[in-house]
Amino acid sequence: MSLASRLPARARLAGTLAAGGFAIWLSYQLSPGDRSLYTLMGLYAIVAIGLSLLIGFAGQISLGQGAFYALGAYTAGILTVGLDPDDRLVNPEAGIDPALALVAAPLLTGLVAAVIGVPLLRLRGHYLAFATLALHLILLAAIFAQSGFTGGQDPGLAVIEPLEVFGWQITGVTGGTARHTAIVWGLVLVTLLVALNLVGSRAGRALQAIATSERTAAAAGINVSAYKLRLFVLSAGLAGLAGALYAFMLQFLSPDAFGVFLSIQFVVMVAVGGLGSVYGAVAGAVAITWLEHELRELGTRPSLLGFELPDQAPQVFSVGVFAVILIVVILFFPRGLFPALGDGIRRLRSVRQEN
Amino acid sequence: MREFLQLVVVGVSTGSAYALVGIGMVLIFRTTGIVNFAQGSFAVLGGLFMVELVDDMHGMLAGFVAVLVVGFIGSLVGFVAVGFRHRTTPLASLIITLGIALLIASLNLLAFGDRPHTYPTIFDRAWDIGGVLVQPQYVLVAGVTLLAALLLTLGLQRTIAGQALVACADSRRAAELVGIDVRAVAVVAFAVSAGLSALGWVLLTPVDPVNYDSDVRIAINGFAAAAFGGLASIRLAYLGGLVLGIAQQLVVGYADQIPGLGQQARQYELAAALVIMLVLIGWRARHEVHE
Amino acid sequence: MSAAPLLEIDGLVVKYGPAVAVDGVALSLERGERVALIGPNGAGKSSLLNGVCGLVKPASGRVLLDGRDLTGRAPGEIVRAGLTQVPEGRQVFPTLPVEANLLLGAYGREFRHELVTATLRYIGRRSEISTRLERVYSLMPKLHELRERPAGRTSGGEQQMVAIGRALMAETRLLAIDELSLGLAPLVVQDLSEFLLRLNEDEGVALLLVEQNAVLALELCSRAYVLEAGRLVLAGPSNELERNETVRSAYLGGGLDVAEAEPDTPTEPSS
Repeated sequence: MSLASRLPARARLAGTLAAGGFAIWLSYQLSPGDRSLYTLMGLYAIVAIGLSLLIGFAGQISLGQGAFYALGAYTAGILTVGLDPDDRLVNPEAGIDPALALVAAPLLTGLVAAVIGVPLLRLRGHYLAFATLALHLILLAAIFAQSGFTGGQDPGLAVIEPLEVFGWQITGVTGGTARHTAIVWGLVLVTLLVALNLVGSRAGRALQAIATSERTAAAAGINVSAYKLRLFVLSAGLAGLAGALYAFMLQFLSPDAFGVFLSIQFVVMVAVGGLGSVYGAVAGAVAITWLEHELRELGTRPSLLGFELPDQAPQVFSVGVFAVILIVVILFFPRGLFPALGDGIRRLRSVRQEN
Repeated sequence: MREFLQLVVVGVSTGSAYALVGIGMVLIFRTTGIVNFAQGSFAVLGGLFMVELVDDMHGMLAGFVAVLVVGFIGSLVGFVAVGFRHRTTPLASLIITLGIALLIASLNLLAFGDRPHTYPTIFDRAWDIGGVLVQPQYVLVAGVTLLAALLLTLGLQRTIAGQALVACADSRRAAELVGIDVRAVAVVAFAVSAGLSALGWVLLTPVDPVNYDSDVRIAINGFAAAAFGGLASIRLAYLGGLVLGIAQQLVVGYADQIPGLGQQARQYELAAALVIMLVLIGWRARHEVHE
Repeated sequence: MSAAPLLEIDGLVVKYGPAVAVDGVALSLERGERVALIGPNGAGKSSLLNGVCGLVKPASGRVLLDGRDLTGRAPGEIVRAGLTQVPEGRQVFPTLPVEANLLLGAYGREFRHELVTATLRYIGRRSEISTRLERVYSLMPKLHELRERPAGRTSGGEQQMVAIGRALMAETRLLAIDELSLGLAPLVVQDLSEFLLRLNEDEGVALLLVEQNAVLALELCSRAYVLEAGRLVLAGPSNELERNETVRSAYLGGGLDVAEAEPDTPTEPSS
């Protein structure tokens, strides 16, 4: 909570609303190509905010947010096309209204998180990190294995039904629309405000106490496991919501899109943005999504700087260079880029004051 | 019964390879407080280098060279992971090792492509031990890994350098006060751990081919073995690896007897492994002292 | 005795973030001297020691050992220069046997940023180190008895001996001890003090005793500094400080050994 926490609450709120308004407006200004990247940034920002709360305030490292994202996407997709794989082919009316599926997805994801969270959250630190990573892999394995139900890798799950809420068209036959993007960024704004409100509330202070020392917090009468679980469920639900919106935008699901790297990326977004800073999480999501995209583009070129690039280049580029940048950033800014920026500005200001 | 014993043999073998990975994690964690996500990457490198070298030179020499090279790479990783004195937090180090694992995986993809790699085992036929058909490679893995674990324990107790490592694990502050450069010790811990992980897969690859992305499942299994010992005991990490390996093989071996799974059983192999791992971690973590 | 003091601290400032623990302290110590640093809990005594011994980088000031500037250097360098700290709570290596603890004291001295060369140097000096070990055992026969026992399974007083022995293995010229008496029975402390006195007089090892127990400190050391809230408030020979009004009431009052009032200071209240 570096730059932002220094401003008075009202200025902060005004600034956030203004930025949110701008982000929504921007949805209508971009070309479809740029817009899909922009939407992805928004979706990831929602996930990152949830994860930022989990890591920064509850002190829980989850390497499984990608799994909840996938769960939300598949839940929405499967509910929309119909639960019975045979029925899907013959009956176009199979499945429920996409709008209902959209609501059901985060709720179901949250429910799953609640169930597995009880035993899972007894683990701490690195144990939790590895366990959530394992959970992600288990989910992927299940998706592959139950390919009849989920479509698996091939042919995958096609979710071509357009999303309509109260007659308002959100996604069209070809997937995302400007309206969809606007709604995504609107949700980013809402999530941000909810998160900020949470941080400033009594619950937020309890979470801060838990992040500092669980034992002390418990001694002070705080129900530590209840708070951790609630936050875990909240962050899972947010990821599920983002996943569902993604499903309707892309209209095609396969396990490829939800690899372990995604879970790692979410953690990187939060770490780079600044632990414990929800604004940083949004900024981190935008930055990392943009970086990954740029690197992948770079990799698709046939040659770079005179070197011929092999077939695997896009993947190697995006992951490899990403990894190098990550290492360098964390080495020099272990608390995240945006707190470091805040410190830098503070130092500049104090220098200027001295002169 | 025969099938059961066969599964146990395979389990002991794969389990001891995981055990080496886990022991490496314990070593690093105890001396530096860092959880090394790149531990699986070292194993994969060991396997891949072995595959490359075994065509050009004698098997044992190839293995030796592979382990040394990966050990050296491990020292570089350690140097980076430890970061800057006073500045790099344990969480930052964790993320750095995550980044390194990603980097190594992408480099492996570039160099070796996306397909499983293996090399032919030197044994031409299975051994018949009391009616049980045993692949000699499994015996080799189990034997060598046990030897390595014993040598490590001996080295830590008897040599001054090993004792310096233990000292850092016991009390970093006191070690510093005595003049031991804790970061230099960390680099050595990483190097030894990397070598150990590599050794496991130098030997196991003929029966467990590696691909560029195998590091994730190896790291997770290695962590489970380490977690069995609370990330603190080398002996328990070894035992944990064996338990994990045997349990996984038994589940997979008898999975097709579980009604309802049928053909899907094979595909749940990894999932089963992971669930067992989670159970292990959960059981162990319950005994952890809460800070 | 040469002109330059063995240890010279000048205007030392140690901060933990914004909090100032040591606020411009200056002190000195001659070869073979026994000097005490006393003061209440939280006065900054340990912080001062940490700043001198390299565990914490001082914000400003200078630390000179035998004329050499060692300010802010790594602990290893400072150990090599001849200053070793015996930390609060002993801090032995609990799972290693006593002898290994001692040998590591010598090993640490060979460390210069890198393990392999340190090991080679150590092995090269093996016979010299063995001799040193024999010497330490002759000074502290109890340690020889306990040499195979894991250091964590020895008593508090024995651990203190191990820590001191470890420092001696590093050929220390100045032994800085942080809270010698902490958690130890009075008889044990008495034995240790006697030992330290002999060590100082026979082996010439200088002592810097950082102590909350002022009685012990003033009894053992010939000179003392009083530290309060990060600043030096008093300094002088121990017997003078023992008679000092403020010192007596703050640090010596109501204790076991209370200094007798001098007959020619009639204004001193009877104790």
